[in-house]
Amino acid sequence: MLLDLEMLRISFGAFAPVDQVTLSVDRGEILGIVGESGSGKSLTATAIMGLLPRIGGQVAAGTIRFDGTNLVGLPERQMRRLRGGRIALITQNPMTSLDSMMRIGPQIDQAARLHLGLGRSAARAKSLELMADLRIPDPASVYDLFPHQLSGGMKQRIVIAMALAGDPELLIADEPTTALDVTVQAQIVQILVDLVRQRGLGLILITHDMGVVAQACDRVAVMYCGRVVELAEVDALFAQPRHPYTQALIRCIPRHDMARGTMSAIPGVVPSAAAQPPGCRFNPRCARVADRCRIEIPELRIGVSGNGVACHVAEAA
Amino acid sequence: MIGFTLRRLVLLLPVFFVVSLVVFFIIHLVPGDPIDNLMRAGSTPEQRLQIAAKYGLDRSLVEQYVTWMGRLLTGDLGTSIIQGRPVSALIARNLPYSLELGIAALLFSTLTGIAAGVIAASYQGTRVDDSITGFILLGSTVPSFWLGLLLILVFAVWLGWVPVSGARGWSSLILPTIAAGLGGIALVARVTRIAMIETSRQDFVTLLHAKGLPPFIIQLRHVLRHAMVPVVTILSLRIGWVLGGAVTIEYVFARPGLGSLLIRALNQRDYPLVQGCLLMLAMAVIIGALIGDIVQAAMDPRQREARA
Repeated sequence: MLLDLEMLRISFGAFAPVDQVTLSVDRGEILGIVGESGSGKSLTATAIMGLLPRIGGQVAAGTIRFDGTNLVGLPERQMRRLRGGRIALITQNPMTSLDSMMRIGPQIDQAARLHLGLGRSAARAKSLELMADLRIPDPASVYDLFPHQLSGGMKQRIVIAMALAGDPELLIADEPTTALDVTVQAQIVQILVDLVRQRGLGLILITHDMGVVAQACDRVAVMYCGRVVELAEVDALFAQPRHPYTQALIRCIPRHDMARGTMSAIPGVVPSAAAQPPGCRFNPRCARVADRCRIEIPELRIGVSGNGVACHVAEAA
Repeated sequence: MIGFTLRRLVLLLPVFFVVSLVVFFIIHLVPGDPIDNLMRAGSTPEQRLQIAAKYGLDRSLVEQYVTWMGRLLTGDLGTSIIQGRPVSALIARNLPYSLELGIAALLFSTLTGIAAGVIAASYQGTRVDDSITGFILLGSTVPSFWLGLLLILVFAVWLGWVPVSGARGWSSLILPTIAAGLGGIALVARVTRIAMIETSRQDFVTLLHAKGLPPFIIQLRHVLRHAMVPVVTILSLRIGWVLGGAVTIEYVFARPGLGSLLIRALNQRDYPLVQGCLLMLAMAVIIGALIGDIVQAAMDPRQREARA
């Protein structure tokens, strides 16, 4: 496995907004992480990047194994060598992800110069090549532009180019399409899928869009309130969702053949980190809740297939 | 960029006109006039009228303004009533001292303030940050004249390192610079610190960290550049202060300067001199703001484009 998270617990003081997260991604594989806002998707990504201390958090328990090395407790100097080098991040909002006072090109160059030791002109050549690969028209002139002179979709391609500049093996894309127009979203997802297929990267694709999951992912981790509630191959997940939350999420995908006014939603709201219900965290909103769910927290049990679910009811079935 | 600068320069004309009106009339709101200061005891009302006529003070204010403005446009600031010398000569003699102290204080407070702000922001929430924030609070509340007296006592009287007062040589500039610059350090440090912290929270900084760049490179090459935009704004407001803001410091250290020239002229109701000094200070403020705008536009590529 390229990346292996086991029983990861993230804490901010006394709060643990992410707990018992177990998931993995291999080279050439796309793992989707889905869940509503506040489910801990982005925090998990931040933990893998080793950037939790920047926002006041820390890994309280568990391991993050990258290519065999546990990143938890790795000295910052070594972590920095991986960051932007072997592990790269693509952020959600391309409008705010670039330095508005710096030209595009040098921003892409940075990672290659830092991690690959390229000189100015070699880094520039590499950046231009990456931009061409990402189908950015006229890379040589875009190289000298400032971010505000580009559209959102182009900016996101630049952010992707920035992530690729250090020749990463693992790419973490945190909602890479959320801030973009629908027409552009599909292009960006396709670019990411192509990258994984052509370069053999491992990709963690964080999203709340089940459509993107179905379109791009090989496997999916469904998160709710800081826990992985279901881990499954994408076909199995859509064909036979086991966790009531996954089932509800899939029911919420609008289809064109639905009757008017039948858009479905999951009743209730995600509880805040301070007011977690006892037992299964989904129990107040669950359609199939049993008595046991209100008392005992279900654990994620992964079978030989690599699929697993954290639900008393689904396991009993 | 050149077009933007030219347009701003043209806009200065109406501003200059309004400023000249205020500068000319405001002194007339103060009771008393310069003639009182010129007359010897026992002068007759006739003598009084004579003096008034000599300086044109017997005519209406509007007439006086038109005459003053007419001369001003030819570069003539008039003649001091009390001292009997051209206003421009008096200003020219005092201006270098003000510039010397003002520029020294501005450079000192800007460089020290930015450095303190960067350090405080980089060590946010630690003891280093707390000490700098504490100093900022102290620096912005301690009156500069009191600090000046304290500095004189310690460094000039007790230790004897620098002259007590006067304006001879660079060593006499050290204490006034510190005293006049302290408030500026506090202001610049506070704005720099807050702007750095705000900028650090932006997505692009997270992404810079995600690239694996060393934190000090991120702080100095990226965050500081963004944080300089508000700092330039407050600095541009302080350029005007550079010339006239150090009045109390000039008094404490017995230095000549525009500030003390203006205060003396005010006390004597020396209309032309007051008007000349005020006009200089007002122009310094206006030009400061202009420089600030231009520098800011040059810094930010978005503004550069919008204003091109």
